[in-house]
Amino acid sequence: MEKRLLSLISMLMLLCGIAAAQAPSTVRGSVTSADDGEAIVGASVMVVGTNIGANTDIDGRFVITNVPSSAKYVTVAYVGMATQEVKIAPNMEIKMKPTLELGEVVVTAMGIKRDKKALGYASQDLKADELITDGTTSMASAIQGKLTGVDIRQSSGAPGASAQIVIRGARSFDGNNQPLYVIDGMPVTTTPDVSTGYSTTGANIADRSIDINPDDIESINVLKGQAASALYGIRASNGVIVITTKRGSASSLKPQVTVSTNIAAQRVSRKFERQTEYAQGNGYLGYSPTSSMTWGPKISEIPNDPVYGGNTQNDYTASGLHQGQYYSPQRAQAGLDPWTTPQIYDNVGDFFGSGLTENTSLNITHSVGGVNYSVSVSNSYQDGIIPSTMMNRWNARGLVDWRLSKEWSTGFSGIYSSSKIKSAPGANSGIMNVVYSAPAEYDLKGIPSHVPGDPTQQILFRSLSFTNPYWWAEHNSYNQHTNRFFGNAYIEFAPNINWGDNMSLKFREQAGIDMWTSDYSDINEVGTTTSLKNGDIENYGSEHNVFNNLFTINFDAQFGDDWNLNVLLGNEINHENVRTWDYYGSNFNFPGFPTIGNTASISGGESKDQERTVGFFGSAMASWKNQIYLTVTGRNDYVSSMPRNNRSFFYPSVSLGWEFTQLPAFHSQKVISYGKLRASFAQVGQAGRWFQNYYWTPSYGGGFYGYTPVSYPLPSGVSSYVPYYVVYDKDLKPQNTSNFEVGADINLWNNRIKMEYTYSYQNITDQIFTVPTDGSIGYQYVMTNAGKMRTNSHEFSINAAILQARDYDLNLGVNFTKVENKVVELAPGVESIMLGGFVEPQIRAQAGCTYPNIYGLKFQRDDQGRLLTFEGLPMPTGDSYDLGNCSPDFVMGFNLSGRYKRVSLSSTWSWQQGGHMYHGTNMTMNYFGATKESLPFHEGTMVVEGIDAVTGQPNTIEVAKEDYYRAYYDVTESGVYDTSFFKLRDLTVTYQLPRIWKLDISVYGFARNVLVWAKLPNFDPESSQGNGNMGGYFERFSVPATSSYGGGLTVKF
Amino acid sequence: MKFSRYILFSAAMLALGACSEDTMDKINKNEGNPPVDAVPVRLQISDAIMGSGFTASSGDYSFYLSCLMEQTIGTGNNQMSRAELRNPSEWAASSTFNNTWNGVYGNLMNIKQIIDKIEGEVPGNVGQYDILGMAQTLWALNFGILTDMHGDIPYSEALQGQANMHPKLDAQADIYADILKYFDAAIANFDTAIDAKLKNAGAQDIAYNNNCNAWKAAAYALKARYRLHMSAVDDKAIDDALEYALEAESLGFSDFCITTFDGISADNPWSAYYWSRYYTASCETVLDMLEANDDPRAGIYTYDTGMAYPAGVAEYANESPQELVAPGWLDLGVQPIHLISESELQFIIAECQLRKGQNADAAFQAGVAAAVDELVVGFWEEDCDAAAFAESLGSATLQKVFEQKYLQQMVDNNIEAYNDYRRCQAMGEEYIHLNNPMNVQSGVNRFPYRMPYANSAVLSNPNVKAAYGDGSYIYSEKMWLFK
Repeated sequence: MEKRLLSLISMLMLLCGIAAAQAPSTVRGSVTSADDGEAIVGASVMVVGTNIGANTDIDGRFVITNVPSSAKYVTVAYVGMATQEVKIAPNMEIKMKPTLELGEVVVTAMGIKRDKKALGYASQDLKADELITDGTTSMASAIQGKLTGVDIRQSSGAPGASAQIVIRGARSFDGNNQPLYVIDGMPVTTTPDVSTGYSTTGANIADRSIDINPDDIESINVLKGQAASALYGIRASNGVIVITTKRGSASSLKPQVTVSTNIAAQRVSRKFERQTEYAQGNGYLGYSPTSSMTWGPKISEIPNDPVYGGNTQNDYTASGLHQGQYYSPQRAQAGLDPWTTPQIYDNVGDFFGSGLTENTSLNITHSVGGVNYSVSVSNSYQDGIIPSTMMNRWNARGLVDWRLSKEWSTGFSGIYSSSKIKSAPGANSGIMNVVYSAPAEYDLKGIPSHVPGDPTQQILFRSLSFTNPYWWAEHNSYNQHTNRFFGNAYIEFAPNINWGDNMSLKFREQAGIDMWTSDYSDINEVGTTTSLKNGDIENYGSEHNVFNNLFTINFDAQFGDDWNLNVLLGNEINHENVRTWDYYGSNFNFPGFPTIGNTASISGGESKDQERTVGFFGSAMASWKNQIYLTVTGRNDYVSSMPRNNRSFFYPSVSLGWEFTQLPAFHSQKVISYGKLRASFAQVGQAGRWFQNYYWTPSYGGGFYGYTPVSYPLPSGVSSYVPYYVVYDKDLKPQNTSNFEVGADINLWNNRIKMEYTYSYQNITDQIFTVPTDGSIGYQYVMTNAGKMRTNSHEFSINAAILQARDYDLNLGVNFTKVENKVVELAPGVESIMLGGFVEPQIRAQAGCTYPNIYGLKFQRDDQGRLLTFEGLPMPTGDSYDLGNCSPDFVMGFNLSGRYKRVSLSSTWSWQQGGHMYHGTNMTMNYFGATKESLPFHEGTMVVEGIDAVTGQPNTIEVAKEDYYRAYYDVTESGVYDTSFFKLRDLTVTYQLPRIWKLDISVYGFARNVLVWAKLPNFDPESSQGNGNMGGYFERFSVPATSSYGGGLTVKF
Repeated sequence: MKFSRYILFSAAMLALGACSEDTMDKINKNEGNPPVDAVPVRLQISDAIMGSGFTASSGDYSFYLSCLMEQTIGTGNNQMSRAELRNPSEWAASSTFNNTWNGVYGNLMNIKQIIDKIEGEVPGNVGQYDILGMAQTLWALNFGILTDMHGDIPYSEALQGQANMHPKLDAQADIYADILKYFDAAIANFDTAIDAKLKNAGAQDIAYNNNCNAWKAAAYALKARYRLHMSAVDDKAIDDALEYALEAESLGFSDFCITTFDGISADNPWSAYYWSRYYTASCETVLDMLEANDDPRAGIYTYDTGMAYPAGVAEYANESPQELVAPGWLDLGVQPIHLISESELQFIIAECQLRKGQNADAAFQAGVAAAVDELVVGFWEEDCDAAAFAESLGSATLQKVFEQKYLQQMVDNNIEAYNDYRRCQAMGEEYIHLNNPMNVQSGVNRFPYRMPYANSAVLSNPNVKAAYGDGSYIYSEKMWLFK
């Protein structure tokens, strides 16, 4: 069939060639502005189907010679004006209208371009110049603070750090809540290859939106509500992010070349300032050079320590006192002079280097003779603030749209991306806790990280259940490497149907592929920790192959003056093939060669998986007098990943838009320049991943075990299979999201103020999730339908052109989002489910609570809420409780930009109010006595205010302040913090140089994430564990967030 | 237009064919894991044995109870220090034994499916009475451990998957009555298997390499252990236990244990726990007992340092990991997991004989010698005449039997140490004196009479939630067996 199409195309091309051979003629005319009638200078006028054309002169006139007589149309284009196609006539008088006045055209579902005013639902788009692309490498940071209803949670400032993007709250308790990405008309996967699971070990793993270079994006349109995305069916219940990459502008005859480069330096956005008064040790042992804590004596007093002090008689001073000094066993281990004078080291500052980010891209776009192309090559390089962490990404992109004739057009788009990331670990594998807790008197950087001549023998101030961070950076690594290509080709056929001038029909066939291979390698060298003393390596990865075919028929008609109709029918096939592998090798034969071949034992395996979705869809849109717009859509999906006979689902949507300012009553006033009311209803589902019940090969690990002590095959070669711990419900049906949305768009004073408000209600029923069960049923989870979730969201934005003049302007945009995401119920008898964390604390979804919440031990209190004490100290509850909701009360973004002549300034601010996170680092550093907050508690005794649990009377028992402080910070409740913050996300100053020769040059400087006011002490709240639904809420020794400063230049010619 | 119609028609046919149920079934085939009935029971029995050892007999129960029974102290400034200081947030929390509860019931699901496949004559598993007997023995062992730890537990309605998500709690007395029947059924099946010379498991039987005689003896030994557990509530328990134990001995019982660990790619759970956390150290309670008799095990117990620490003292409990001396066997990743040892069997015989007024010297000394020999000669590779040491202890008394059994139990049989302690208390006797001052705090009992239910059950099963309450029942409610 494709062959037939191809031969047809070539025949048509031949015909065009023949037609072109006829006698040429000359076309002339003028181009003026419809607004004021003034001539437009430099507009491009191209003859359709050829590569000939001209630009208008100073009077707006143009002359094109040698126009083949077969040519019937010219396209006229000019920046800021709507491109139009005009029939060739003698002495043409073309009037151009500004794009804005024509109405903003947005790309909606299935690539349908619609006037924004015709939509019955909220839609928000961002153009390239609104994205923050300088000094950053990720999609998430490019759009942060710019959108309403979209929650973007960065995991950290590390190179390649994952981000969680959620539109209007979550719909799935423990499944995917990330939107579908559609790039140049094709769905593209952005979820991470590997979930970090409960996120208690290892490093963060990038999500696959990292493969998109933000600099390649021409526009992003966010389809937030289900009515907007219903046409995409089952994969779109989380909303859709429609990305259009840069393409040739029609404004010039010659190729436009853009070279841009920028460079930025990063540093930790909030540096942990530890106490520098008290030394390592605790109240029981005094100074202890191996303790993880700093509850010891004053640093200045260590020389008087009875065991290690140089001023006292002890084992080390047997051969003479060392006045004012003390003996350091670690210095002795390292072969240094063990006697040292108390001194303060900035261990945190020493460890964090200065990060570097560089982005360079070259982009060529051109539109000539019906061919519109764009090619770009770019590189992003990032060095993290943690030694050895980095990212290097190369992107190459090509895109061609070719209008072959009035009836036929074709094109393709392809993006190649190669990324290498080295990341640092957190939580139980963390190194940050070692840096933060390093005693101020211990020279973490200066004392070698291992015994001279033996790199497998680490030297550290504390036990080696955690790794010396310098040793880690030198020997261990978490590597990610992905090579990816995604792209598609299409053919459009718009036959001349002769059903009347006002009707058109278009067929579109598009086929594409998204393929990538990701390789991961986690290496722990010999000597990493006591439990990994012989080292291990895990090589894992996946190979994906996603084929997508999309066929659509589009019919447009106008009936009389008042009615317009648009009908779309289509079919989509999406088929994914995945091969995953995981090989684990332990016990390196010798150090210094950490490869899987050099391990004493290897285990692992591979598996394959397939998924297919076939969808049939249709939409019909009718409009009356350009005032009332009604759209109805329906889609039926067939999904392979569901049980037999439960695979077919139908989803409807209906939306209505009413531009009430078209009413005659509004014609005479000048205040409201545009007003629209909109309402929509839609249902979209989500499928589960269902299997026939199966057996698997278990292994023993987790819990107390820092590694996997037993896995199959056993040393004797014996292997085994057991029932898998999840049982699958054979009656599984898709989960359902019903969405009701109303809103209004109002523009005031000649569109200088634009306001949008949207209220959305989502009711999610029949949730598919692995319902945790009492282990005594023989399984730990049942994959079934259960539970309800409800979301109310309010989105409001206002954009004001405060000042507008030739030489200057000032614009302010404010956006506000409030999302209430409530877990109504889980399964019968199930009160809460775990999303991540340790045995305690965890991030959970709990019935009756806002999704998600922190779950852990709290302080025991009496009926009046007074603290209960036991033997003078506060005590934890026996079991876990809800300790607060994670998601914020509201989020606001502020975008203020201004220009004076050639200098422009833009800034983006974020304000988050409310919400909570578990901050394990703060809690542990308090427990360790490392924080400045702990300073008043290092000496002396106190009576804790509370009620004695035994006597029921006010507590009178005196305890050491240290004991109180440690007992307090041993209970999770003390580690739950409010995440309210106000941040300057971006400040950019750009200077547009006067034109030099043919070059348009702009230079700019920027600062990111530089001002942070947060309720959370000591750290930036935007750093946490995990790349899943718990991301952003659970912190423990995570890689910190960064701020950056930099500059760059863009050259166009 | 004909052309467009052709495109339309082909696309529709292609799309419809692409989503038929059969095609979708093929696509959704699980290529990574086998379906339930494809796996023969012999491949299931290996992990049924491993799980009974790694998760039930050893593992978290053993780690915590070792600390409770003062066979080691908990240290390392984390979970085990809280356990050492008898902190209710550790002992009464439903999260503490969640992994174990899920793991043991998961293993029982595997055991149940083995039994069902053989009894239900699923092709490929027909007539495999040897494996059936093994599965029945393990069923009784795993449920025995579960009920000894938690008291009333889901039993008759357990292991039904989605068909019963909220199984009720069965009375411990009923569970005990039923598991004893499982031993009988297992013994009968081993007899059938011995007669038919069945070898269906082969090397997949990681305990006895398909030796059904050995399994039969082990079933008797375990039956003796669980019958003896009933001594406080059933007058006939002693007589029966002695009968079963002697039957096991006459069948030539040898250690029922898992020896597959090589210390490189497969480690014993205690060593794996120790190397991962270093939360454990030598306890004075044990060392005092060892030193009182000049016991050759003092060396391995203190890693040849002679050092041990008092139980329940914050100074040691809150010490950083790896700062304190710990028993030497923890560094031996190759040590086996004992499901029931020859030494334990001898101590069972000795106790029963003494309670019946018989002379128990032979059994007592054999029990001591077996324990000392394995630890000192086998593990610590020191010269030692274990038999001579056993003899030096003189004739058996209940005090000596329980002391020596306690010392045998300190390696990896801590569950039985806890059971014996509670059983003796229930019978009004105390042979092991626990010293941890935190067992009573401000006059409040902080020594748990049982282990708390698991978080998964408390959160998802209303029957268990009601029984668990706020978890404080572990300090006030004794279980039927040890009331």
